[in-house]
Amino acid sequence: MPDNETITLELFRYHPETDSEPRFQSYEVPYDEDWVVLDAINWIKDYVDGSVTHRWSCRMGVCGSCGMMVNGEPKLTCAAFLKNYYPFPIKVEPLVNFPVERDLVVDMEGFMDKLQDVKPYIIRDDVNDTSQGEYRQSPAELAQYKQYSMCINCMLCYAACPVVGHEDEFLGPAALALGHRYNKDSRDQGQSERLEVMLSSEAMWGCTFVGECSVVCPKHVDPAGAIQQAKAMGAQEYFKRFVMPKGAGATKGAGA
Amino acid sequence: MSGQYHRSHSRAWFMERPAYIRFMIRELTSFFMAAYLIVLIITLAKVGAGEAAAAEWLQALSTTGWKVAHAVALAATVWHTITFFAAVPQAMPIYIGEDRVPAPIAKIVMGYGPWVTVTAIILWGVLR
Repeated sequence: MPDNETITLELFRYHPETDSEPRFQSYEVPYDEDWVVLDAINWIKDYVDGSVTHRWSCRMGVCGSCGMMVNGEPKLTCAAFLKNYYPFPIKVEPLVNFPVERDLVVDMEGFMDKLQDVKPYIIRDDVNDTSQGEYRQSPAELAQYKQYSMCINCMLCYAACPVVGHEDEFLGPAALALGHRYNKDSRDQGQSERLEVMLSSEAMWGCTFVGECSVVCPKHVDPAGAIQQAKAMGAQEYFKRFVMPKGAGATKGAGA
Repeated sequence: MSGQYHRSHSRAWFMERPAYIRFMIRELTSFFMAAYLIVLIITLAKVGAGEAAAAEWLQALSTTGWKVAHAVALAATVWHTITFFAAVPQAMPIYIGEDRVPAPIAKIVMGYGPWVTVTAIILWGVLR
């Protein structure tokens, strides 16, 4: 392969101060089979057009910042190798189902609000003094939620989910998986509080199990599975409240 | 914040990705399953109404149109069943200690195994 081989990147461009509609701009980028799409975008910004705006940080699939639509598929651009697309042009857009701030950058505020809604932290009725030791957990108890704790908030699952795009009330895959992660944690006692939010109208029930959230997840979190399990847990909670209106409520949580 | 660009959603969103088309096909198979259940309920009612009514109903079902409808319903039901069993390990994970039972085994334990067993029992009851 000659050293001067290039590949075309078509970048989604939108600058709110000058553009009323987005447009695509093509760039010729040196082709290197070790490069990922993020390398190519960084090269464009460094050497061709400094006005290109995008998010990135770790470049190793950990921070979740560089999620974009690559040829219509939600991808971490730090894990999308040019060699998988070469010699054809690569179209890069901001994640769908989010408002676009500028070029390849989306507004994450709605996503962050939904994350907070599910109270993604351990809730205890009693908080022991540290002198009493840690809240112990067996490997089997850890296994119940570990997979769902691997989420890096890259939002690829939101871009893959058709319900997110059509139903504002739907909390979305990552938030629901995270809520389920804490509901399954043996140290947690906040299941009722979380289900209060998750059980409301379309918040969780909007999921129709399309399953693409799990397909695109770079960390194999399987949000679709988590949501179906959360639905079963929610249905149990609903019937508990129906049968025992006063004393109902999921209780769980190991002592120290 | 002003100045954001909001992309519109197409009404034909389900055509945008092959996975969405597969999802819609899976959902549509429910219609054929429901339609077949109605036919089955009518059949049971006719059987309950007596031999003559049952024979007349079976005669009506022997037309080419009904045979095609049954074939379509069977294909839709089989496809729905396969996709349902594929989803079971995700929705109902089984753990043995700290190890999650692999999906292929979970599908057999919770799906195909009981399906084959119940089918065999019914066939045994009908054919013996």
